[in-house]
Amino acid sequence: MDGDGWWDVDDRRNADGRLELLQGTLDLLILRTLLFGAEHGQGIARAIQQASEKELLVEHGALYPALQRLEERGWISAKWGTSSNNRKARFYSLTAAGRKQLVKETNKWERLAGAIGRILDPARER
Amino acid sequence: MFRRKRTANDFSAEIEEHIRLERERWREQGMSEEEARTAARRTFGNVMHAEERFYESGRWMWLEHILQDIRYGLRMMTKSPGFTAVAVLTLALGIGANTAIFSLIDAVMLKMLPVQKPQELMLLAVRAPRGWQEPDATFSNPVWEEIRKEQDVFSGMFSWSEFQLDLAPGGESHNVNGVYVSGDFFGVLGVRSAAGRLLGPSDDVRGCSGAAVLSYDFWQRHYGGAESAVGEMIRLDQHLFPIVGVAARGFFGVDVGKQFDVAVPICAEGVIPVFGEPDGAKFLNRPSAQWLRVMARPKAGVSKEAIGARLRILSPGIFAATTAQEWTGDERKEFLAGTLQVLPGGGGISDLRRDYSEALELLMAVVGLVLLIACANIASLMLARAAGRRKEIAVRLAVGASRSRVIRQLLTECVLLSVLGALLGVVLARWGCALLVRFLSTADQRVFLEFALDGRVLGFTTGIAIVTGLFFGVFPALRSTRVSPTAAMKGAEAAEGTGKSHQRAGRWIVISQVALSLLILITAGLFLRSFRNLLTLDVGFDRNHVLLIETSVPHPDLPPGQRAMLYKRILERLSALPGTISASESLVTPISGEMWGMDFHLVNGGGPAGEEADAYMNFVSPGYFSTFHSSILDGRNFDEHDVANAQPVVIINETMARKFFPGSRAIGQYLVTRDFMNDHRERMAPPREVIGILKDTKYRTLREDSQQIAYLPIAQAEVLSDPAIFEIRTAGDPALLARAAGEAIAGLNKNISLNFRTLESQVDDSLQRERLLAILSGFFGGLALVLAMIGLYGVLAYRVTQRRKELGIRLALGAQRSAILRLILRDVTILLLFGIAGGVGISLWTTQLTRKLLFALNPRDFTTILFSALMLTSVALIAGYLPARRAIRTDPMIALRDE
Repeated sequence: MDGDGWWDVDDRRNADGRLELLQGTLDLLILRTLLFGAEHGQGIARAIQQASEKELLVEHGALYPALQRLEERGWISAKWGTSSNNRKARFYSLTAAGRKQLVKETNKWERLAGAIGRILDPARER
Repeated sequence: MFRRKRTANDFSAEIEEHIRLERERWREQGMSEEEARTAARRTFGNVMHAEERFYESGRWMWLEHILQDIRYGLRMMTKSPGFTAVAVLTLALGIGANTAIFSLIDAVMLKMLPVQKPQELMLLAVRAPRGWQEPDATFSNPVWEEIRKEQDVFSGMFSWSEFQLDLAPGGESHNVNGVYVSGDFFGVLGVRSAAGRLLGPSDDVRGCSGAAVLSYDFWQRHYGGAESAVGEMIRLDQHLFPIVGVAARGFFGVDVGKQFDVAVPICAEGVIPVFGEPDGAKFLNRPSAQWLRVMARPKAGVSKEAIGARLRILSPGIFAATTAQEWTGDERKEFLAGTLQVLPGGGGISDLRRDYSEALELLMAVVGLVLLIACANIASLMLARAAGRRKEIAVRLAVGASRSRVIRQLLTECVLLSVLGALLGVVLARWGCALLVRFLSTADQRVFLEFALDGRVLGFTTGIAIVTGLFFGVFPALRSTRVSPTAAMKGAEAAEGTGKSHQRAGRWIVISQVALSLLILITAGLFLRSFRNLLTLDVGFDRNHVLLIETSVPHPDLPPGQRAMLYKRILERLSALPGTISASESLVTPISGEMWGMDFHLVNGGGPAGEEADAYMNFVSPGYFSTFHSSILDGRNFDEHDVANAQPVVIINETMARKFFPGSRAIGQYLVTRDFMNDHRERMAPPREVIGILKDTKYRTLREDSQQIAYLPIAQAEVLSDPAIFEIRTAGDPALLARAAGEAIAGLNKNISLNFRTLESQVDDSLQRERLLAILSGFFGGLALVLAMIGLYGVLAYRVTQRRKELGIRLALGAQRSAILRLILRDVTILLLFGIAGGVGISLWTTQLTRKLLFALNPRDFTTILFSALMLTSVALIAGYLPARRAIRTDPMIALRDE
């Protein structure tokens, strides 16, 4: 049951003009966010939105299955803890395997982004 | 690495927290409580969706689905209790029958002995002697002792022999299953004791006074499991033996189908002259007395081939050392040519296995077919029901269930049905097994079989339950899900298309049912006719109203003269009983399974001439032929003048007369024999004059061809046997005379032990297998017929319901009711013709398998086939008539309005 995250790009309305996530990118963003330390789900969602200067739309509902999937793959681990405002929350942190995966995924993404960039604007690359 | 699964609740809690955090954030940014909640929900999206994804991420999803399917299936079942009951009951019968027969096959043919490492055990035998089909696995005591002494390939060996022991102090005997065992018997088998100790090598030395070990069951039955039984004395054939211990629970011996009650060491044969040998020790020394079986466990690391090779080398020495003085040159040569070999012994030995293996395999095939018919039945019921459920299925497909998911659901329902059927079937099977064992048991031998619900049987039943469920379910499931949701939801009209193919499928199911049940009916018919052939066979004697009495006098050293006098007085007393028509004495009785043979020569000029020929023989008193109602065709009966010192005489049967004196009258001619009952020297007895010709009778079994039989006057027997057999022809029920006969004999000597049985039961018991096959195949034939007819009825009834509108229109337009009836019966006839053709075709080929089990009947017996087909046809027409009648009684208006 390896989900490939098709639900990340559900055709939902995009009224406020923010960008939808490309397939598979949510995983990368989660891993990247957790590089700074353990965080709970809502924190992760907010961090991604903040870091992207609110350009990216993270469907919160899609976040949790993604977290679950990453946990099952052993890239992140989770335990219940207490959040800053004294609430119980499930905190996620990066595992060693997760770090490796992050490097791999980042490389992949950069190559992809570079390639697409070259196609869209060959002149600038030259 | 083991990760614990998160629960769904844990996941929901996390999401709840998330939404709360979001709400608080919006509140902080100044939204109202209401707005904050909405915003939090909106940014999260579909909670259910996320939770569903979580569910499905787990690998236990399939289990969840199955549980769901099972719950749904159970709900559907309770919704239509009638269908469920019929289906479960049908399956219970089918699966129960299969489980019962398989349990029997398991117990008789497959199971290993309940001893230590049974697979290691090897049975010793002498390679099939010339003219034998099977190796000879019986040994004399000298040979057994010699093998034990000479062999160097086995880590342990033991020998044993079974026989009946009498517990009574005299009078009517109380026989139990005894077994002589060598000293290593329990040790090599690895059996433990439940109380006291078991027999060991020190118990089995020549000249021992004997000791007894009880089986656990016997201990429970006779001593209530009391520890104090150990140390008590037990009376066996009027000799007292100390009980030294009890064997562990579950150990029944090494003979599958029997359970030993008491074991005594082989040396006890010196104390109990069980085999009628006055001097027990002599019997132990006699190389011609083959009465022991031998098993062994190989030394570690010695292969079967190595053992075979070693035994081949040892054989000549072993046989040379144990050759009997009294043997003729030929006998000696044959004996010395013997080669020892090993056979697998882990399954023990079993007469039951020998006699019933084929019959059981055949019955297994029959019950397999019954189950197939049952499956077909349920499949057609399911098809009919699928029509009713089309809307439901369409709805489920329409709201997004995948076809495979719906098929899985339908199959789950089927497997559920068959599992319920199997549960009930196991109960039926246990009951059936008990009944079968009762069937197999005879007056002489109670059959003992262990029917544990072991892994093999359980696996078999579970396996057939699931396969059955899938088998009858797959086809209807595939069909009923092949619907276009919109079409099906629109209603019946749109469903017409699939209705047609349902019908086609239903027809094929009925045709195969008819064919299969005809096959079973023909098989049953063959066995019934074969059994009837045996029952109505002219056996040459009248089996009714004859009481057989076996007497045993507990004085092996009784002088022959006194013994003869005692037997004479017993016969006199029996003849004088009120209710006795005639009484007689003989060496053997017909169909007892026992046989005595003798070699006869023609006499030419005072000496033997021509080849000697083997014949069965019997010593009889003059009253024998009238007691058995056997008729003397020519010459005279024995009379009081045919005594020891008079001219030796013989009465032979027709077959023997034809063989020895073809074309001439046998009466007045002479036959000569080697000395019998006394095989120590080769000596020709004085010639015997043939004084009578007897109508042919069966001697050992009813199935045998006409045998040559010679009858000699018992007064001219050199040795009187013990036990002796007396027979009485009675006016009334022979069993009722047993008491009076017992008292009459006890009046002479209280210590004489007695065994009673009727000739009728003796003959009946010899037909056990045939009776079992006839009754069971008859029963299953009936069952198959009923199932097939239910199937036929179901399909026709369904068809009539579907065609009600058409029939209504036809009737409204003035069609004759008889024409409608013809229309439907034509359908039935076509189905029947196809089915019967198929069934007969298959049976011509498959009933060959029954050839060996049939008596005086061709497996392609035309009458049986014809009769079976007629029976099937008549029942099918009844099954077809009921729906047809309903069809012609259709009120056209109602039928039309209904639509």
